[in-house]
Amino acid sequence: MKPKKEDQPRIVGFLCKWCSYAGADLAGTSRKKYPSNLTVLKVPCSGRIDPLFVLKGLRLGFDGVLVSGCHPGDCHYQTGNYRARRRIAVTKKFLEYLGIPEQRVQASWVSASEGTKFAQVVEDVVENVRAIGPSNLFNDEGK
Amino acid sequence: MEKELRDQAAKLLEEGTVDYIVGFASGTLKHTTTPLITGDKDETSSLVINPFISNNLATYALEISGRLGIVAKGCDSRSIVSLIQDKQITRQDIVILGIPCSGLIDLKKVEKLAGKERDEIDEVVVVADKVVITVGSEKQEVPAAAVLFDHCIGCELQIPQEYDFLIQGPAVEIRNSEASREKIKELKQMSPDQRWSYWKQQFNRCIRCYACRQVCPACFCERCFVEESQPRWVSPVSQWQDNLIFQAIRAIHVAGRCTDCGECERVCPVDIPLRSLSKEMYDLVGEMFNYKSGMNAGAPPLMTAYELTEVESLIR
Repeated sequence: MKPKKEDQPRIVGFLCKWCSYAGADLAGTSRKKYPSNLTVLKVPCSGRIDPLFVLKGLRLGFDGVLVSGCHPGDCHYQTGNYRARRRIAVTKKFLEYLGIPEQRVQASWVSASEGTKFAQVVEDVVENVRAIGPSNLFNDEGK
Repeated sequence: MEKELRDQAAKLLEEGTVDYIVGFASGTLKHTTTPLITGDKDETSSLVINPFISNNLATYALEISGRLGIVAKGCDSRSIVSLIQDKQITRQDIVILGIPCSGLIDLKKVEKLAGKERDEIDEVVVVADKVVITVGSEKQEVPAAAVLFDHCIGCELQIPQEYDFLIQGPAVEIRNSEASREKIKELKQMSPDQRWSYWKQQFNRCIRCYACRQVCPACFCERCFVEESQPRWVSPVSQWQDNLIFQAIRAIHVAGRCTDCGECERVCPVDIPLRSLSKEMYDLVGEMFNYKSGMNAGAPPLMTAYELTEVESLIR
């Protein structure tokens, strides 16, 4: 099924269950408006996010990937997000080097009390990704 | 240099300090060497040291149980240290026979320069910072940098830092880190789209033989993500999309373990410039985290350590 035009761009978000996911919940319960382009996947910690998830998301046709976890110092498991930070950093830089525009892979820290920030982050990410157009990174045509 | 190594290896086996010696012997083809793994002290007489000892023998430290005596160039010793950092091997089980290295010769470059095939070339000898190529009665002298592997030109450790015995010998300084990044610099001048199509083309050729993974001492996972079937992350069929994901993820997974030994690129049967990926990653972690893999056995591995504040600019 071809996604509808208004659904573009499609973003997949990996959200830590202790903070960003709860932040998304808060945004919902406090009736914050944000674009519906985000497909949320809950992960137990941002440290669970393998760079592989990011590429797999893009491979499946998502136009952008958002990775979100707890603010440094707030990790439920003490150090998960510190480790995630290094991983995200090398992934972002390396994918840029391969030729994937940096806007397609984004990361944020959103705590459980930051519903407003979450809505803002999603809005910004969607806007960023929309600006560079749909992803045809893994399409075969034009090879 | 060779005699000292052979004597030392034989002595280690005789004393029972090690169960096996892992080193290099002459290969069956001209200008090649092959790994020699032996527990027999008489066989140590076939150990060689020459500019063609390209394998990174640290890989065998993972595969062979028992105490090993490993012949290690600078880059190999870094791989060994990196494995110790990752607790894949213990320092006590390894006897490092360090050898100084003036760089390894890339036979493909020699063939191109001389315009001859491997078998037609009689001799390739390193004389200080020059290499003399002999074809029949003709001798051609070229600067060493013209025929050394790219990663050797960028070598940061010609004499092992971590060793039990250091074989004495010359290590001619060849370092030219700019020249070893030539290909990467060219890539960086392209637009992202151009780079992506460059890699697209390269990985179209990949046959997924996994030679790069097998030869890599940093790739020590018992089960690689490409072989997982639930979920199936990448297709086992060779298509450029999956080939590219495999290699990109491999590069990210070995970030902080890769010592720029250049083995992945050397073994690639379809000549994909894999070092242009691994070296960029190597430099990235150096730049971002000031981290050099395999330099300090006591340091925590890159991806398990952290600073309280770092790389925050990349995150919202």
